[in-house]
Amino acid sequence: MFSGWSWVAHGLFLLLSICSFQVSGGLVQSCGRIIPESPVLALGSNFTALCILNESCLDFGNIYANQIIWKIKNRVVPKEQYREINKTVSSVTFNDTSSLATPLTCNILADGQIEQNIYGISVTIGLPPEKPKNLSCIVHQMSKLTYPMTCTWNPGRPTFLDTHFRLKYRWPQENFPDCIPKDANNSCTVTDVQFFVNLEVWVEAANALGKAESDPLVLDPIEIVKPLSPHNLSVNSGILPTVLKLSWENRISAAVMKLKFNIRYRVVGDTDWMQVPPEDIASPRTSFSVQGLRPYTEYIFSIRCMKEDGVGYWSDWSEEKTGVTTEDKPSKGPSVWRIIDTSRSPASWTVHLMWKALEPFEANGVILQYEVTVRAKSSLSSPPEKYNVNATNLTLKLPNGTYEVTVIARNKVGASPLSVLLIPAINSKAPVKNLRTLPKDGKLWVGWTAPNSYVLKYVIEWCLVSNSSDCIIEWQTEPGNIQGTYLKGDIKPFKCYLITVYPLYADGQGSGQSVKAYLQQDRPSKGPTVQTKKVGKAEAVLTWNHLTVDEQNGFIRSYTIFYKTVDGNETAVTVDPSKTEYTLSSLTSDTLYTVRMMAYTDEGGRSGPDFTFTTQKFGKGEIEAIVVPVCLAFLLIVLLGVLFCFNKRDLIKKHIWPIVPDPSKSNIAQWSPQVPAKHIFSSKDQMYPEGSFTDVSVVEIEADDKKSFSEQDLKPFDLLKKEKSTSEGHSSGIGGSSCMSSPRQSVSDSDEGETTQNTSSTVQYSTVVLNGYRDQTPVQVFSRSESTQPLLDSEERSEDHAGGGDSTAQRQQYFRQNGGQDEINTDRPCFERTKQISPTNDGDLIGFAQLQISGQSSQLLSLGLEKSTQEAALSDVLQMSTEGQTETPETAEGNPLLVDEMPKSYLPQTVRQGGYMPQ
Amino acid sequence: MAAADSPSAALRRHDLCTRGIRLAGKMRADVVDLLDTYVEQQGLDASVSVTAVEGVPAAAVERWDEQTGTQRLLENLAAYRAFRALLAQMLEEQQEQLGEADAALGPALAAVLLQVSAFAYHLEELLRLESRGPPSEEGAGPPPLSHLGLFERKLRGLGVLRELAQWAVRSARDLRQLAKPSLGSSSAPGPAESP
Repeated sequence: MFSGWSWVAHGLFLLLSICSFQVSGGLVQSCGRIIPESPVLALGSNFTALCILNESCLDFGNIYANQIIWKIKNRVVPKEQYREINKTVSSVTFNDTSSLATPLTCNILADGQIEQNIYGISVTIGLPPEKPKNLSCIVHQMSKLTYPMTCTWNPGRPTFLDTHFRLKYRWPQENFPDCIPKDANNSCTVTDVQFFVNLEVWVEAANALGKAESDPLVLDPIEIVKPLSPHNLSVNSGILPTVLKLSWENRISAAVMKLKFNIRYRVVGDTDWMQVPPEDIASPRTSFSVQGLRPYTEYIFSIRCMKEDGVGYWSDWSEEKTGVTTEDKPSKGPSVWRIIDTSRSPASWTVHLMWKALEPFEANGVILQYEVTVRAKSSLSSPPEKYNVNATNLTLKLPNGTYEVTVIARNKVGASPLSVLLIPAINSKAPVKNLRTLPKDGKLWVGWTAPNSYVLKYVIEWCLVSNSSDCIIEWQTEPGNIQGTYLKGDIKPFKCYLITVYPLYADGQGSGQSVKAYLQQDRPSKGPTVQTKKVGKAEAVLTWNHLTVDEQNGFIRSYTIFYKTVDGNETAVTVDPSKTEYTLSSLTSDTLYTVRMMAYTDEGGRSGPDFTFTTQKFGKGEIEAIVVPVCLAFLLIVLLGVLFCFNKRDLIKKHIWPIVPDPSKSNIAQWSPQVPAKHIFSSKDQMYPEGSFTDVSVVEIEADDKKSFSEQDLKPFDLLKKEKSTSEGHSSGIGGSSCMSSPRQSVSDSDEGETTQNTSSTVQYSTVVLNGYRDQTPVQVFSRSESTQPLLDSEERSEDHAGGGDSTAQRQQYFRQNGGQDEINTDRPCFERTKQISPTNDGDLIGFAQLQISGQSSQLLSLGLEKSTQEAALSDVLQMSTEGQTETPETAEGNPLLVDEMPKSYLPQTVRQGGYMPQ
Repeated sequence: MAAADSPSAALRRHDLCTRGIRLAGKMRADVVDLLDTYVEQQGLDASVSVTAVEGVPAAAVERWDEQTGTQRLLENLAAYRAFRALLAQMLEEQQEQLGEADAALGPALAAVLLQVSAFAYHLEELLRLESRGPPSEEGAGPPPLSHLGLFERKLRGLGVLRELAQWAVRSARDLRQLAKPSLGSSSAPGPAESP
């Protein structure tokens, strides 16, 4: 505890002792110091500082050099850099001053605990000055006697130190005070210098780290003078219209330097200066006459000067002064051209003469008027007509012919040379060849190949081609020795110009050659609008209109048609620009296509609107190719059908349109053999005049027909057979009442006349065909044979032939079928009768008589089949049949039972039925 | 003379002569201008006649054309050394007496003084090229002016300037003579070139 307090007391004592020492030793007295004091160090060099402690401090505070701590700002310098020289001196070394900073302090650790600052220094780090370079001087003349010299130099790298520059100069035998720059470190101005003595000039740069001098510059200041420009320039017009005289004053004495000059001039309004040849003004002077100027032209002049030998600098250009040359007569006649209007009358021209106003450099003054002379070449005797015109055009009405027009321009000094234009009756001379254009330098150049003949001059006409405005002709003339020129006018880009070149000969005028040109092309302002003219299955004809000239913006080099399906790739087709129609081929049928069209100039293309179309499903003629054959086939089928039907009309009629007997018209009397029907059937009376009318009908069945019938026609019979019970009840209407008349009717309908004749001539027959009309129940078919053939024969024959050939068997079967049908289809009374007859078929006349009525169809068939072979016998049969018929009642009478029954039951039935119409 | 024979020495001599001639010309022009200013500033009459200035060799000389080059150079050098001293004296007087009111005169006087000094340097260089070397300036100081009154001083100054103008003309001709390559530095010029 005591020890601690003693340490604190000791420390306080030390501080007090240091402070008391400082106070007692003076106002400011420290315990030590640092050497060097406030050093200025070169960047990158090494540096060593010493801290020296005062001896007195050693006594008071037991402070020694080994307790010293070096600090840069607040950073302790590593102890490796310390060196204790003795007990009162410590040094610190820095190998590179770039690590140094301000302040560098020397501190002491009192009693190893308390750090106390002893001393501190400020360190300045920088660079020594570099040697100034690129020293140069110029003497600016400020007045007639004042020639300050300004020298500039490159001061070199920054030194980070306060560096002083001095411009030093001297004569060999005399020194001058230094020139010290103000507010700069790279230039200084010496107020006055003397010429003709070499002056040595150099620059000295100095700072705390050193001094550097530039290389000396030895010069005579007269060689670096930039004189003041001449002043009081005046311009006076001389006697000649092409001369102006300049006068000026020089502001530098000729004793100082002899001068040479530059004179520049330009026409007012121009920007380009022209210069008087320097060699003409390479000597001292104060005036000069500028020649070769244009008359009546305002010029601007300026002048400058420099040392005659060219050593030094040019002065600035003097102030500008203007002067106007005097007038002269026009140097050339105006360019003349004409437009001939022959539209009103072929015999009389309206000639628009026009000429260009002379350019100022040609007019040489104010043009007062133009004198126009028109002389008809055809009539030399007639005097020329003269016109004084103030404008630049003249319209005349002249008869068709050749004229010579002369124009002169006149100003107050005189008249211009003549301008002659020959207006020939026809332009029959050779034209120029190979006319071409080329945009160049923002202007349109026109070139051509001259004709073989000598050309006086060329006239170039041009006009802007536009839909919205007329072609307003502009023109210019060019001499005959050139073969190309720029159009002198406001040529606009993207506009089409029609350019025509006429060669003018001494004795006439060549025909014009024209060419279209653009100064600058662009893409078309719009694309062509394409549409379809015709659309087919695999092709489409596209049409479009040409773009107007205002829309083209250039030469249309090509069209490109782009077309595609909805989901397909786009296909491009390039089309010649002269076309307005194109056929797209190889298209897919029944497909929606989108087509658009681009027009291209040299600068690019622009697309028109899209157009869609759909290809057709069928090609041209395809429908016709299908429809026509189909129609033809249909017609053929119809025709064949008709023919077939015609051929089979009987059958068809039989099936689909049978004649339904009208019971109301039935008349048994007309049919009945007992009742003389001569008054009804007159034809039969005629046919059978002897009254041998037979009621036997014969059905002729050919072998072929039989087959066809057998299946088709007999089916109903089968049906009937099957539906026997029903048909029996059903037949009461027609069949029942007309068991013998209805079939007869069917036969007679088919071919009534012929049948009548045939039967009358050959075999009288009657066919009762079993058939049904549509859904009607087939009527019972009866056949009544009028054959005179003995029925038994046929019966016998049919029986004989029963086991014979097929045909016979068929016939037999058919007979049986018919017989069966008879049995089935016949009305019950008939059927019953047939039944009754059948057992007595062999020799029973009664049964025969009944059979004649009931089984006529079978007999007719058999008879018909054998008609040819039994023709001779047929007549007998007919005869016999007739007789037999006539005898039938007698025979019937022979059978009292039957006779009594038959007439009673039979006749009235027949009459009642009325359906049997004997033919 | 050996040095004068070498091409570089001849070139140097020619250059010194040429520039000396031009310096003399400018000096004359400046002196003439200065004379006008001086007469005006000092309130003198331009037509007043001034007697010869003490200590200044007269520009006019008899048998000028018979002088050798060295002789010409020596006479010129003596004259211009005298002018240098006189002009320095005048400038000092000017600065003391005229003050700021005559600021334009002082610089002009200083400029002429510089030219005189420069011309003297030219002459010394030419004399060195002549292997002669310039004579020392000892005893060439201007006479004291304390005994002169103000007006006399003005007249003296006028006389100095006029004589300087004369000398400028003569010096130019002397140097032209020296610049002629055909003539030896010691030979006398022909009558045609006499001033």
